[in-house]
Amino acid sequence: MAFLISGRIFGLVCLLVIMGAVAYYIKQSQGGKVPKLRRIPGIDAIDEAIGRAVEMGRPVYCSHGIADLRAATTGPQTLAGLSVLNYVAKRCIEVGADLTVPVRQPEVWPIAADIVETEFKLAGKGDEFNQDKIVFLSNNQFSFSSSYMGMMMRERPGANIMVGAYWAESLQLAETGARIGAMQIAGTAQTSQIPFFLVTTDYCLIGEEIYSAGAYLGNDAELIGSLAGQDIGRILAVILGLLGALVTTFGSNAIITLFRM
Amino acid sequence: MSNALKRIEIPIALTIIATLLQVIPYYLDIAPVKNAADQMQTVVLIIVACATFVGVISILQVHGKKIQRKSEGWEYSIIVVLGTAVMALTGLPLAEFGLGTNNAIFNYIFTNAMTPLGGTMYSIIAFFITSAAFRAFRAKNIESSIVLVAGTIMVMGNAPLFTNALPVLADISLWIREVPNMATMRGVMIGAALGAIALAVRTLMGIERGYLRGGGEE
Repeated sequence: MAFLISGRIFGLVCLLVIMGAVAYYIKQSQGGKVPKLRRIPGIDAIDEAIGRAVEMGRPVYCSHGIADLRAATTGPQTLAGLSVLNYVAKRCIEVGADLTVPVRQPEVWPIAADIVETEFKLAGKGDEFNQDKIVFLSNNQFSFSSSYMGMMMRERPGANIMVGAYWAESLQLAETGARIGAMQIAGTAQTSQIPFFLVTTDYCLIGEEIYSAGAYLGNDAELIGSLAGQDIGRILAVILGLLGALVTTFGSNAIITLFRM
Repeated sequence: MSNALKRIEIPIALTIIATLLQVIPYYLDIAPVKNAADQMQTVVLIIVACATFVGVISILQVHGKKIQRKSEGWEYSIIVVLGTAVMALTGLPLAEFGLGTNNAIFNYIFTNAMTPLGGTMYSIIAFFITSAAFRAFRAKNIESSIVLVAGTIMVMGNAPLFTNALPVLADISLWIREVPNMATMRGVMIGAALGAIALAVRTLMGIERGYLRGGGEE
């Protein structure tokens, strides 16, 4: 068909199959068939981290990464980080924790501020919202990280929650958090930064776990159903991977040709 | 503001339209949709440019209050406010008035302060890697022992001192990087891509509202 772009047809088919599977499981969940969710220790530990910070009389830091919302691969990570911020703000208000949100991207700042402010209003504490706690540091990567590290060294947060897209500053932030004794929960889908988070934080959300966090924390049947749909995509990826390895081993380019359709 | 404009459906609808305008032109060659997507890109750039002022205002508010109240470290806030003001004013795109990226003051601060400070921040990662490695390389259980052994081989495999004496180390480190490491990374990437697709579907269906005010409960 003339309007299909060559080289992207198979990708489109895979995307439609996965989207169809996700939509199907969401519908199933709406009908009451909610799949069982495996526990993710890193997400379960968010409440513990906030509680610990309150007991220690220290603030809670929650960052949604340094990416904007526009990039195809990192934008969704920022969305996932904002979903976590939503939950963290709610919990902090419930237990009276002092929440600080360091922000790098100016266009994400109003969204983060809106999320926290609305949670205060929903809790009937709208007048307690302090806009200065949603602090824009700098849109320069290392100016942001140096400010973030400086704030951590001065205020010594009891919990540091970082979920989103991070680059070279990931180790600087997480290592500073470890140095001041903050309980740290970090997560990213940036494969080059995951090892840094793994060795420096208490809990690390790896790759897709950050996208599940919103559904997991929201405990909403429809959102949980969508996670089951992902499994269809995962099965498809495994089948294609195995088939590709097998077929290529026997000297055929069938799978490669299929991918290039 | 009118109550109609406060409705949660408006940001959800905008998100759905923006998402579809990004996805459809990637797979399908439909001229009107592509034109609309290009137009939207321009609108997004304008919004982002305007949002820059949000950042400047936030900085001035936070540090202005610190200076006013003489809070702890308020002297540093003066440097931040002055730096922001000087860079913002001298960097204005008004070449006919001698402003912009060719302005002497702008260039001087950028070359002699911004660049070396950025370089310094980047270079201290080496020290952070050392302290993180010290914490990670402890054989507490099987998993951390594997990390310890693999890490040691990787370090040795990249040091001529060891590879000259034991050339096989270079081959082993290359194998670790290209086989188990690559397989793991690809697994994580495939999983992350699937997670992003599921997030997109939830967003398109309007059920992922975590990024909206109070999850859309207001």
